[in-house]
Amino acid sequence: MVAYGLLALGLSSVLALVTWGVVSNYLTEQRESSAMVETADNAAAFHYGLFGAPQPCRPVREQAECGSPTPDPDVSVMDLLTSLPSTDAAASMVWYNDTWYSLTGTPSDLPADLVETVRNGTAAHRQLTVGGQHVLAVGVPMKQPGEAFFEWHPLASLDHTLQTLKITLVTAAIVAALIGLAVGRLASTLALRPLAALTRVADAVARGQLDARLQAEKDRDLGGLARSFNQTAADLERRVAADARFAGDVSHELRTPLMTMLNSMQLIQNHRTELPGAVREPVELLGDDLDRFRRLVIDLLEISRDDGGDQGSREIVRIADLVRAAADAAAGREVTTVAPEAEGLTLQADKRRLERVIANLVENAEDHAGGCKGVGVEAGGLGVIITVDDAGPGIAPEDRERIFERFGRGETSGRGRGVGLGLAIVARHVQWHHGSIQVTSRPTGGARFVVELPAKSGQVTGPAR
Amino acid sequence: MVSDTCPVAHSLLLVDDEPRIRRVLRLALEDEGYQVAEAANGYDALAALRREPPDVVLLDLMLPDRDGFTVCREIRRSSDVPVIMVTARTDSHDVVAGLEAGADDYVTKPLVAKELSARIRALLRRVEPANARQPDLLVVGDLTIDVPGAEVTRGDTVLPLTRTEFKLLAELAGAEGRVLSREQLLSKVWGYGYFGDSRIVDVHVRRLRLKIEHDPASPKHLVTARGLGYRLVS
Repeated sequence: MVAYGLLALGLSSVLALVTWGVVSNYLTEQRESSAMVETADNAAAFHYGLFGAPQPCRPVREQAECGSPTPDPDVSVMDLLTSLPSTDAAASMVWYNDTWYSLTGTPSDLPADLVETVRNGTAAHRQLTVGGQHVLAVGVPMKQPGEAFFEWHPLASLDHTLQTLKITLVTAAIVAALIGLAVGRLASTLALRPLAALTRVADAVARGQLDARLQAEKDRDLGGLARSFNQTAADLERRVAADARFAGDVSHELRTPLMTMLNSMQLIQNHRTELPGAVREPVELLGDDLDRFRRLVIDLLEISRDDGGDQGSREIVRIADLVRAAADAAAGREVTTVAPEAEGLTLQADKRRLERVIANLVENAEDHAGGCKGVGVEAGGLGVIITVDDAGPGIAPEDRERIFERFGRGETSGRGRGVGLGLAIVARHVQWHHGSIQVTSRPTGGARFVVELPAKSGQVTGPAR
Repeated sequence: MVSDTCPVAHSLLLVDDEPRIRRVLRLALEDEGYQVAEAANGYDALAALRREPPDVVLLDLMLPDRDGFTVCREIRRSSDVPVIMVTARTDSHDVVAGLEAGADDYVTKPLVAKELSARIRALLRRVEPANARQPDLLVVGDLTIDVPGAEVTRGDTVLPLTRTEFKLLAELAGAEGRVLSREQLLSKVWGYGYFGDSRIVDVHVRRLRLKIEHDPASPKHLVTARGLGYRLVS
């Protein structure tokens, strides 16, 4: 759009410059030639006045007698100058008999080389500034060698005309540029409207809103693009839904055998003392791994539930209470520190999801990163900032995105860090609450997970616990 | 945790179409001290319920002949036995639908007998007075609540409340007009901690209103304290 304006400005400027060049040249030339003619006429009239009307010349062989006419002795040069027909010339000067005669004007204002050129027999003109006036000095030689007639013609009216022309052209160029801008804006809006729609929809799909579609399928120019875009988006949506269903179905199918195993294991553990010594340790191993397996299936169900578009339920919760309850339970001890100004902050939350966020972060610190070194709740950021510190080796900067992916394991970080779905679930649930999560380093070593949620001070579901 | 920790062996009816689940849950629950009867479908469940009423029904929502919601509604038509529904489907919609059908509580698969046992105990716990000075007989409007007898009467009519509904009403009455938050109710009635599902409270309040309010659409006794919880007024 700006390009249109610039283009219009450029074009109209070029046009204006060319017009200016041609017209100003033409006008100046016109003025000059008319001044020349006038001056030549005056020079001739002056000459006649001095020498009388020219005699018809005799044939070439008698030319000697025709050569130098004699001046009329009764005629005064000054009278002659006065009697010249009045023209627009501002001054007339004549170099005659080695003397300057001048009615008005000062011959010394004439440039010496101009006078010299004219006295040598060539008519000449030049623009000058005399007494603050812009004039055209014109000189013509007279019949007698060495004698010359000069006039200057004021250029004020030409200057005025040119000034007017200049203003007109500049105005025209600006107006043309503005019109160009307006037309360009109109044209680009009209032409780019479908593209803007495409950008918007593509953005939405990229952000994960897979059911976004283009409306332009019937558009003559963009119909093809819109159809294939919509087709691709529909395929993607189907594939993602199928993936989610698959994960859901698999974990669903796993539930029954898992329940059999878990309950059998619980029975066995209830009767641990009755077991022969040789099998106690394998049973313990089996129990531990069964627990991890259960965790994995539960996480898979949680993720596929989200993929399946579970809306969850929102209620207003006091965020400090929630974090305290979730973190202290997950760590099995008191780990939560709440800043006084964060006590009253509330949030529209799905308690179950938010509990998973806090519990997963704390469990991650406990199980994989040397233990949870504290959970903080303070006001700030989007509303409330929740930090979970651990005592592990920290997360390398290049892994700080990856650990939030499904089964994303940091390449360079400690073994076991972020394995599985725990942090992926955390990232999803935080996003579900329109919050943000990132991982940083603690100055004293270890990693710090920072969750920001859009909390505000407000009404609470119940009295503080 | 073996049978002798439980003075009276409570009886459970386990309704699930999956034989292996029934088998293992029966083993584990018997080990926790319960007497367990089994039913593989809704028809058998209703028949078993009539033949020998259990203390608690564990009802899976996915049954071959009819869905668990229907079975639950049919149970409620004739009995106020506590029902814990077992959902494999995790959609929140299912939970609410199951509670609306009359379930007292819900658990999700995969579950272990120990968790289930905790839920059962919470349901079977006898209603204790909310505070020690509370009289045995509470009167709220035209309702008379007999706390030890676990009975609510309006005039000469005994209102058919389930054990859970009765306990909810008794807790609210014991608060003497003060607001109880959903979390407090979850903890007092169902034995949940902070992360109990507060929809359980909301659905039970709705059901209780159907039974005690003259016009359940604009309740006069069991009123909502917006954003805070519920209270019972005369």
